[in-house]
Amino acid sequence: MTETTKPYDSTLGAALLLLPTLVVLVVFLYYPALLTFRLSLFQTLLLGTERAFVGLENYVGLLGSGAYHGSFLISVAFAATVVLGTLVVSLFVAYLLFQVEVGESTYLVAAIWPYALPTAVAGTVLLFLLHPTLGIITHYVEALTGVELDWFTSGPLAFLVVALSAVWKQLGYNIVFLVAALNNVPTTLTESAKLDGVGHLRLLRRVYLPLISPTLVFLVVVNTIYAFFGAFPLVDLMTSGGPSGATNLLIFKLYRDAFEFSSLGSAAAQSVVLFVVVALLMWVQLRVSDRYMHYGA
Amino acid sequence: MATETDRRSGASTAVSFPDVSGGQLLVHGGLVLSIFLMGLPLLLALVMSTQTTTEVYQVTNLQIGSDGLSNYETALSTYNLGQYMVNSFVMAAVIVVGKVALSLLAALALVYYEFPYERAVFVFVLLTLLLPVPVRIVPLFQLMADLGWANTLLAITGPYIASATAVFLFRQHFRTIPSSLVENARLDGVGPLTFLVRVLIPMSRGMIAGVAVITFVYAWNQYLWPLIVISDQSKQVVQVGIRFLQGASQSGLTQWGLIMAGAVIALLPPLAVLIALHRPLLETFSLQQK
Amino acid sequence: MSQITLDGLTKQFGDVEAVRGIDLTVESGEFLVFVGPSGCGKSTTLRTIAGLEDATEGRILIGDEDVTGLDPAERSVAMVFQNYALYPHMTAAENMTFGVRSSFESDAAMQERVQEAAETLDIPELLDRKPSELSGGERQRVAIGRALVREPAVFLLDEPLSNLDAKLRVQMRAELLELHRELETTTVYVTHDQTEAMTLGDRVAVLDDGRLQQVATPQELYDYPDNRFVAEFLGNPAMNVLSVDVVEGETTYAAEHAEFRVPLPDHHDADLSRVAGSVAQFGVRPEDISVRATESGRQTSDGTAADESATAPQTVGEATASQTVGEATASQTVGEATASVTVTEPLGESLLLHCDVGEDSLRVKTQPRTAVSPGDTVVLGFDRDRLHLFDPDDGTTAYHSSPKGEAAPTRTVAEMQD
Repeated sequence: MTETTKPYDSTLGAALLLLPTLVVLVVFLYYPALLTFRLSLFQTLLLGTERAFVGLENYVGLLGSGAYHGSFLISVAFAATVVLGTLVVSLFVAYLLFQVEVGESTYLVAAIWPYALPTAVAGTVLLFLLHPTLGIITHYVEALTGVELDWFTSGPLAFLVVALSAVWKQLGYNIVFLVAALNNVPTTLTESAKLDGVGHLRLLRRVYLPLISPTLVFLVVVNTIYAFFGAFPLVDLMTSGGPSGATNLLIFKLYRDAFEFSSLGSAAAQSVVLFVVVALLMWVQLRVSDRYMHYGA
Repeated sequence: MATETDRRSGASTAVSFPDVSGGQLLVHGGLVLSIFLMGLPLLLALVMSTQTTTEVYQVTNLQIGSDGLSNYETALSTYNLGQYMVNSFVMAAVIVVGKVALSLLAALALVYYEFPYERAVFVFVLLTLLLPVPVRIVPLFQLMADLGWANTLLAITGPYIASATAVFLFRQHFRTIPSSLVENARLDGVGPLTFLVRVLIPMSRGMIAGVAVITFVYAWNQYLWPLIVISDQSKQVVQVGIRFLQGASQSGLTQWGLIMAGAVIALLPPLAVLIALHRPLLETFSLQQK
Repeated sequence: MSQITLDGLTKQFGDVEAVRGIDLTVESGEFLVFVGPSGCGKSTTLRTIAGLEDATEGRILIGDEDVTGLDPAERSVAMVFQNYALYPHMTAAENMTFGVRSSFESDAAMQERVQEAAETLDIPELLDRKPSELSGGERQRVAIGRALVREPAVFLLDEPLSNLDAKLRVQMRAELLELHRELETTTVYVTHDQTEAMTLGDRVAVLDDGRLQQVATPQELYDYPDNRFVAEFLGNPAMNVLSVDVVEGETTYAAEHAEFRVPLPDHHDADLSRVAGSVAQFGVRPEDISVRATESGRQTSDGTAADESATAPQTVGEATASQTVGEATASQTVGEATASVTVTEPLGESLLLHCDVGEDSLRVKTQPRTAVSPGDTVVLGFDRDRLHLFDPDDGTTAYHSSPKGEAAPTRTVAEMQD
């Protein structure tokens, strides 16, 4: 192909078109983010009216804080549970959608609706339906298993209930992407495997999963970010971080430290830690998708 | 992806499945069961939302309640959910329109203008993906206070109307449009804004609809930021409004029927948008994957 | 009516020089075709004339006006693109009028112009359709209609027929010629297809590597290429070029190859002193080589020749010794090269032979149904009027065996019957 020049060359015009976006990004994203880094080096006194430079003391404080360690571990475990739960269930549904010969698009719309489910709504509905004494689902599960599901007092159970709510909300998004990825697998591969008499589970494990792994990595990243940041309403509405800190995710701790206890410097340091988490996840995704792009080319 | 599903959609309306093998029966069974389980909490919430508090406390009562729609009326009027819904709608509409408009302009510049540091500008926009609200929450809150925006619509919309994702998606889409179209326009002296309005936007309807759905669902889902920056209850959005319902009690009993009604109300708008616009949404997602 | 003048036109993309100093005048009302291999700079040149690219150096004049720095919209040009460049959400009529500057007094006047253009192109019933409802050929008509409505001083066409199938391409080619005869608008046309270039152009400009190689009428380009690139680029199959020594003969110079010797006719336009006594590239087109069978050839190919004689109307065996079966007639044939046939390609209207002549190989176009088989030995002769010598260093033409006159030399009917 011949090289071509872009049609419009007014630098001023381009600047004017980009200006609104750049102003918003600078004022509301970059500038506050930079202030966060700065604030993390200060200690706030008297409800934030005075500040003192403390260097890395806020970070040292986090390193030495048992509560923060606990919150960090819980967040990581929570992310792992949500990622695993979401991917297993969505993969199951997506594989069925991929296999079904009649009515795929109808099933698809019926299966992706949780994409529209607000997290606060998911938390509220499950808070009631899984309520230890009033929840109808709890009632029947207890009747069937004989186990008492009092997650208002049991930490691990509360953790699972919050994770379940997060998985429910994330299903729609994951199913959309997995069905798309499965449909992109060349049919010739499936056909040749079927001719060889390969069973469904082996087909999924040996043929599909490797081929859709870029999408899987993408979804791992998306679900992890959701578990770290998006699950806030669940904790706020369902457990308030309890019982005894079992659901005290980093984001919830950050919120309380900043807006209930007004320790802004420490909260800012926690924000910086979260930034590192996002940056790592994005880096992983870029690296992996890059590798697969080369692989494919 | 959409075309993949469309391929079989013609058959989806068939009432009977003549050639269904045993395997396919299992697949259908599995799908119906999965979808039923995914929808079950919502069905139960719907049923409970019609019950009186007494009926709700009879845990296994699954009959349509005697309260009918009165829980909905109470939630909307007495508990101000109506006002919160309006607030949410205004917020979501401003964010959708603002984000689509700003991102279209930015993508126009990135794709059709020759200017210095073009690549750097694009990377600068993309890097904001690293900065979700929690990463900048404390200074952002202080900034709103300094600007005098606390408790205003500006506070819950302003930070959201620019977006790396939307700019990225529009840029990808514009790049698939043959350059000869804009060159033809240029030979006639058609300016960039006319070209945007008369050509690019009509040619990007699906993509704009997809970005609008993604943005609407995202905006409607906002919880943490409005919770922090809006302290005047009458200006609150509906997601946080559900939280206020939790305090609703009648003679010491939490009014769960009322709360379920509130939850259903807060779910309906994004659900309706998703169902109405699922096609462009799926197409947009498939572009995002590339 | 406007002529286009390119004065030292140069276009660089970063470090890459796409167009390197082109000087050219397109006469008013002329149909000029740019042809060359991909990446030769032809499209860039066209786009620079249009103003879609800024010239790095040099000037562009349309009529008497220097348009080098002007916006495309101020140049009074209309362009037709390879991919039609139609807006998919607009009807054909809307496509034709979108962006037209308000040079029309009224909407009605513009609609009338659209109708007129549509009738010229035979598409009035398609005006309300969207591009997706049109075939490739119909889309290209709408795109041309777009250009017509603008009534520009200059038409610029960038490979407009390349997306059409072969049959439609031939038909549209004829229609474009007719349209140009009617409108007499100065037209610049870019193509990589030499047939298109030869059939459409009043003159053809051959480009390679950003440089103008030669501009001339199609026949002159074919008969008197200025350099080896033009000689080999035009013509299919391409001209044969092989190394020879230019030696002084008894009356004239001769091209001497290990396997043959061809006398080079002298004429007023010839100056062989430049290459005399040294190596040169000897060029001759496949159709300018004639074929004779040899005794030994007949013997070696006995088996196959006998098989084919049943169907072939004329076999080498039946030909008299002096009869040639090549397209060149005997009286003008010079030289005699013994060659062995390696491959035969029947092309329908002709038969293409690949022959080994010593170390070299030659393509020879001969009459169809000639009974020659791979392995046969044949004797080749060369048309004395159609020989070329190129400088071995820079590829420029050193010699044409017939003088380049005002008109290309033609043979009379009598000569042909001779």
